[in-house]
Amino acid sequence: MTPDTPMSADSSMSADSSTVWIWGLRRQPAVLVLLAAGLAAVVAAALTYGAVPLSLSHLFDAGADLERAVLFGIRAPRVVLAGLVGTALAVSGACLQGMFRNPLADPGLIGVSSGAAVGAIAMIVLGSALGLASWATPFALPLAAVVGAVLVTILLYGFANRYGHFSVVTILLVGIALNALAGVCIGVFQYVSDDGQLRSLVFWMMGSFGRATWLITIPVALLIAAAYFVLRRQARPLDLLQLGEPQAFHLGVDVKRVQKRVIFCSATAVGAGVAASGIVGFVGLVVPHVARLLVGSGHSCLMSAAALLGAGLTILADLFARTVMAPAELPVSLVTSALGAPFFLWLIARVRPQ
Amino acid sequence: MRGALALAAMLAGGGFACEPAADASRIAVAGGSLTEILYFLGAQDHIVGVESTANYPPEAVRHPSMGYVRALSAEGLLSLSPSLVLGEDDMGPPEVLAQIRRAGVDVVRIEAMQSAQGILAKVRCVAAVLGLQEAAEALIAARLAPQAAALAALAASASPSRPRVALLLGTSDGAPLVAGQGTSGDGLLRMIQAENVFGNVVGWKPMSAEAMAVVDPDFVLMAARGSAELEAAQSAALSPALRLTTAARAGRIAALDGMALLGFGPRTLSTALEIARTLQEPWPE
Repeated sequence: MTPDTPMSADSSMSADSSTVWIWGLRRQPAVLVLLAAGLAAVVAAALTYGAVPLSLSHLFDAGADLERAVLFGIRAPRVVLAGLVGTALAVSGACLQGMFRNPLADPGLIGVSSGAAVGAIAMIVLGSALGLASWATPFALPLAAVVGAVLVTILLYGFANRYGHFSVVTILLVGIALNALAGVCIGVFQYVSDDGQLRSLVFWMMGSFGRATWLITIPVALLIAAAYFVLRRQARPLDLLQLGEPQAFHLGVDVKRVQKRVIFCSATAVGAGVAASGIVGFVGLVVPHVARLLVGSGHSCLMSAAALLGAGLTILADLFARTVMAPAELPVSLVTSALGAPFFLWLIARVRPQ
Repeated sequence: MRGALALAAMLAGGGFACEPAADASRIAVAGGSLTEILYFLGAQDHIVGVESTANYPPEAVRHPSMGYVRALSAEGLLSLSPSLVLGEDDMGPPEVLAQIRRAGVDVVRIEAMQSAQGILAKVRCVAAVLGLQEAAEALIAARLAPQAAALAALAASASPSRPRVALLLGTSDGAPLVAGQGTSGDGLLRMIQAENVFGNVVGWKPMSAEAMAVVDPDFVLMAARGSAELEAAQSAALSPALRLTTAARAGRIAALDGMALLGFGPRTLSTALEIARTLQEPWPE
């Protein structure tokens, strides 16, 4: 499949961004309000349910120290982090799919997730040799992951921009090559790791929001919010890009600048998310498709829908992961992938015949 | 900022301790050998949760499982309302332990020492944490010290040519993982005065059939998990990886429960003694 293939029945409709609004005007705000209500319900459920039984009415009783510690110190930062990572993945996925005009684009494709993974795994395996001060240890792994994501993005950008060809095809191909390279690095680290490190990194690769603390969640929130803010401003240019790059250029879109911003902002958001929680599969690929089914492919509305849906589904998957086997818990990526992959198949079966 | 310093202080305080715990009435145990030690000390009634490597004694699996020892869940653990979390140095992830400490629960790490004296020290350390020193000394004198002494005696009388042993992890299919330097398997081989034929390898590493044939161990020990793997290991002599070795031709392959062999709880002493005795027997050539 070449990147120039139109995305689907929906995306070909968006050839002119104004057509999206034909079946939208009344429907889109309604869908967004419903999604927001759904997200609120999911957040409430995720804060209420968990391994430790909580009763909101007795939360501020004298003897409820443990309950308060669990709710404010463990559950709340975890729910917030899950929501942020879901948002980051879904919105990045939506923008990348729009930019590549390819339904298979997701944050994993341009190598950002694997770059972050290489950084984090290097820290798991080699970190003890660095002799870090104890106050630095909680930040070392997320920081290494962000550095990995940024390095891959710079490499991607450097290669794709060489000789002045900053084309979508080059980005895709370079992304695939960087992914393979990251795979090699991960393999090497797995080989040199000891038994314990191997287990740690396998679990890290399967994703978990269980390490969430406010200390980690707040910096991640700032990075993701900044990236989201910039991505929102690319909505209109991304709509015009659906016409094709030359057409968008003639309509006054600085195509290269939009592409750079989408790539760097996606890398920031996804890198920060992966850093805090490991790899969370399929959210970045599937959620934008669902959002597009619900609100069409105008990017402004699509980003809002993807953000709400991504946050809600990821929080829900995490709620399932941490309650189904309590007091043990499942890696969250098992849940998101188990839900996402079959759903994606269903989506293909549904859309293709038309 | 205050939060950062507090967290740092808690992480820095994650050293090993054998101090009596403030309250050891409800213990979540993150480590198979520690579970074994609690049963050995008769403190099993205080256990509120175990993790997935706790398979001995068999009734230990009846406690709620907290999942894998390196992937504990803060809230899951707190839902057992423990007064003390007891684990070895592989317990984690550290962020989760910090969360548990912040909720006011004591987290105590027991150092893992891979030698006969280390096992005794570990039992004493757990006993100190629980305040059971006197009972522990009696139990150690009756059941563990004689085994440790017998191991030491065997070592003293051992012939200068030590048996050449390979310790493998996993079953007979594919390339087995061999115990190199710095592994618990290497610790066990030192405990029984055997020469680790893969002593030049670092960590657990997959080994090809050819490498195995070149190194040619006289004896192969296999650590298996669960009865299905133990049974599968019985046919290991026929596997491509081992078929060409002296050990396989002479039938000197033994498969043992992984936690008994490498857990370094009380059981590892008797297992090691048994293996050491077998290795000392004259081999029919």
